[in-house]
Amino acid sequence: MEAYLILKVLWWLLLGVLLMGLAIMVGMDMGVGTLLRYVGRTDTERRVALNIIGPHWDGNQVWFILGGGAIFAAFPLIYGTAFSGLYVVMLLLLWSMIVRPLGFEYRSKLPSAGWRNAWDWTLFISGFLPMVIYGAAIGNMFRGVPFHFSWDMTSYYTGSFISLFNPFAILTGLLSLSLSIYMGGAMLMGRSEGALYERARSAVAFGGGVAVVLFTIGGVWVANMQGYQIVTAPDPGTAQTPLQQTVTLADGAWLGNFRSHAILWLVPALGYAGMVLGVLAARTHKPTLAWWLGALAWIGVIGTAGTALFPFMMPSSSNPSQSLTVWNSISSELTLSWMTGWAIVFVPLILWYTSWAFYVMRGKVKGEAVEADDHAY
Amino acid sequence: MKTLIQFLIYLLIAVVVIVLGIILGDAASWYFAWLVGTVMIVLISAAGGALLDTQEEEKNKAG
Amino acid sequence: MINDTVVELSRWQFAATALYHFLFVPLTLGLSFMLAAMETVYVTTGKKIYRDMTMFWGKLFLINFALGVATGLTMEFEFGTNWSFYSSFVGDIFGAPLAIEGLMAFFMESTFVGLMAFGWQRLSKGQHLIVTYLVALGSNLSALWILVANGFMQDPQGASFNPVTMRMELTNFAALIFSHDAQAKFVHTSIAGYVTAAIFVAGISAWYMLRGKHIELAKRSFRMAALFGVLATAGVITLGDALGFVGGNAQPSKLAAMEAMWQTEPAPAPFNVAAWPSQSEQRNTWALQIPYVLTPLLTHTLTKEVPGIQEIEAQAAQRIKNGIPAVEALKVLSSDPTNAQALAQFKAHEKDLGYGFLVKRYAANQDVSLATDADIAKAAKDTIPEVAAIFWTFRIMVALGLIMLAYFILAVIYTLRNNVQNQRWFLKIAPWMIPVPFLACETGWLVAELGRQPWTVYEMLPTWMSASSHSVGYMVFSLTGFVLLYSVFIAVEMYLMVKFIRQGPDEHPHAPAQPQTGSGGAYAPAGVMMKREEN
Repeated sequence: MEAYLILKVLWWLLLGVLLMGLAIMVGMDMGVGTLLRYVGRTDTERRVALNIIGPHWDGNQVWFILGGGAIFAAFPLIYGTAFSGLYVVMLLLLWSMIVRPLGFEYRSKLPSAGWRNAWDWTLFISGFLPMVIYGAAIGNMFRGVPFHFSWDMTSYYTGSFISLFNPFAILTGLLSLSLSIYMGGAMLMGRSEGALYERARSAVAFGGGVAVVLFTIGGVWVANMQGYQIVTAPDPGTAQTPLQQTVTLADGAWLGNFRSHAILWLVPALGYAGMVLGVLAARTHKPTLAWWLGALAWIGVIGTAGTALFPFMMPSSSNPSQSLTVWNSISSELTLSWMTGWAIVFVPLILWYTSWAFYVMRGKVKGEAVEADDHAY
Repeated sequence: MKTLIQFLIYLLIAVVVIVLGIILGDAASWYFAWLVGTVMIVLISAAGGALLDTQEEEKNKAG
Repeated sequence: MINDTVVELSRWQFAATALYHFLFVPLTLGLSFMLAAMETVYVTTGKKIYRDMTMFWGKLFLINFALGVATGLTMEFEFGTNWSFYSSFVGDIFGAPLAIEGLMAFFMESTFVGLMAFGWQRLSKGQHLIVTYLVALGSNLSALWILVANGFMQDPQGASFNPVTMRMELTNFAALIFSHDAQAKFVHTSIAGYVTAAIFVAGISAWYMLRGKHIELAKRSFRMAALFGVLATAGVITLGDALGFVGGNAQPSKLAAMEAMWQTEPAPAPFNVAAWPSQSEQRNTWALQIPYVLTPLLTHTLTKEVPGIQEIEAQAAQRIKNGIPAVEALKVLSSDPTNAQALAQFKAHEKDLGYGFLVKRYAANQDVSLATDADIAKAAKDTIPEVAAIFWTFRIMVALGLIMLAYFILAVIYTLRNNVQNQRWFLKIAPWMIPVPFLACETGWLVAELGRQPWTVYEMLPTWMSASSHSVGYMVFSLTGFVLLYSVFIAVEMYLMVKFIRQGPDEHPHAPAQPQTGSGGAYAPAGVMMKREEN
């Protein structure tokens, strides 16, 4: 039983790592997509921007796919409930994401300006929209989502599509967008020169600055918001369904974990440190440092959200007692053990060859070289 | 000495392959067949390409 | 309460998006290994033409690959968005291979595909070759894990239902991944991809030879594709038989539908070459039969009986009756997980739980304890999949497979004599063969998945229960979106494919080392540029 409890917490942490990996790596590529029309004023500049992430976007996107796969495997109840409940939002996310591979691959295959312009808009939407939805989805977890289960664990969603875009969710969506702009800018700074570099640098300052403000507002908002609290529930280390607990709402409950463990305030502090120092690093022309500080900011922000919600993952606003928590929505002990084994082997391997790929492709991407090669993105 | 080392390396690879074959052949015979089959298909196809070059060269010599 | 129309629309949407995704996957599976084979020749012989080949086919590979990746994202979403009950019911088992696929295969494939396209100048010959092999291995391992997951739906091994968590849970990981159905299915599908790629390369090469363009590249590509294809086609047929054998044991109803066998016939039973099955009358309106052939074909013996549809349906009715108490017990356990009496009742009827779910659809208020004999009869009829559709899609797939085998044998004969470029009739046929493997792959998917009905997880979870509880409006919205987007996608992809095929490989007779795909040039620092010219 103890082993199961440890595995449950471990997979909650691992899911956090995947969501951070997703935000950092995919967010960076999407930031480039969002910024494409701003940083690239000429076709060559845009191609340089695209070719900077060209060799990496596909690998990075797997963080997203793996995030989905890990939720499916480790938290099947959340996967089924969230994906079906947020149907329209999920489809918008999906549709905006599936045009992205084509944007990269097909944009520069034809010389026509209209063709390229159309794909640039596509890349903008597929950079901007998924990041807003990503942040808004996490924001909605604070508010709770209206769903309940029948006796056989069929989930029913009773809310509307529009209610998912409430002010708090929009705030978190914009926070996620601003951090992705920051990361996209930092990546572009590292591998570009001249005007492109300067515009990327101002994008980092803008993204970082906005993120600091939104993160602060969000924090104050959460402190004054109604949060969820478990009243009675089976022992966390046992197998269970969400049908066996009682949950209430209480003002400021989302700060409960911080109140009982003051050391957790370090997590949001980490986020602030990343954003503020990152902007300073960009101002002093240190793109690599700015990139890593941006990653730290993401870790702090997502870590803060996870810490505040823990052990809740997807609270139900219409039937709070059926809220999904780490304890009641996770996979069986055997599945978690096997997955842990695979993760121990493959995660270090992935980090190793991803770094190698970045190492191989290091250095500045030059406009003349992109233009001379008619097979570049 | 160099030959000996090479011999030992290849021997080791052969032993690993044989052991893997026995284990996989038991529990995962079709997966094993895929592994062997794919290697064979790729190599024969590659050899076929190289053979065409030889055929061309001979034809050029003859004609 | 789940709406039948919503279930139907969810099925259509899943089938349409899966079939669409499967237009791009086989080519990726096969072409990646063909690229590896071409590059192997380049690295071992040092002949530049093989590098040109790798680069040219690599460019087409990437155009196709982008759509494979894009449409694959849809599949990952769709289990959750449209099959939420299914996802939470079997996610404990089904999710694991999908997550491992990401960890082990997709990361590898996607990271290295970037280096494959962009790394020609940055990597040594050997390094680049390894990268190409890793892309091929990654994409096929990806297929492996997906088919392990699919194998579980066809023949649920290594799992059982846990009444405490109200879902199926993993009990034996090895049984899951070494399931015979998963194994045979993976090899059959992966190698079908090899055939697809071989026909694609051979067809385009023939088109060049017919026009007297790019002859050297086309001849070599054709030779490699012909050998690749003939071996792969033989493999697909062998594995098709194995899959029929394995799947037949696991899923008698699919097998009976594939062969349109209504009654159990004494062994050795006759084989229906062609027939006109009538589902409502449960007989074949007419049939062209070969006596004695069916039994050895399916069971690899002369004496084993193959159960007919009517027998399967009768057994199903029994199992439904036996499954009803299991569902009733479950309802008690849901609010009171420690109720010993309910647990004992559940255990006694556990193996027919899925059949109990099957009748829930017809019972009043979806309460199985109210199920009448008429409801049970209806549910039992449901256990028989669409016979005519499966019978014919199966025959189309097999016929296409045999046509491809004949085609490749001829191709090998001509190319080994090195005179395929003079067989104009054959060169004219070859491009028309390109759609054949795609059609075979699609019909193969249909046989496998239509034959699995009415279950999503065979004999465990009915399809109608698996769907999300959406409104019809939501489904119309998503279907419309997919149709619009996917139509644009295919138009753009076909346009680019045809354009780049017509354009052909770039030929630089005086600068043979020019990069032809990827944007290596964009990255090449001055030093590397210099070296390139020395080549």
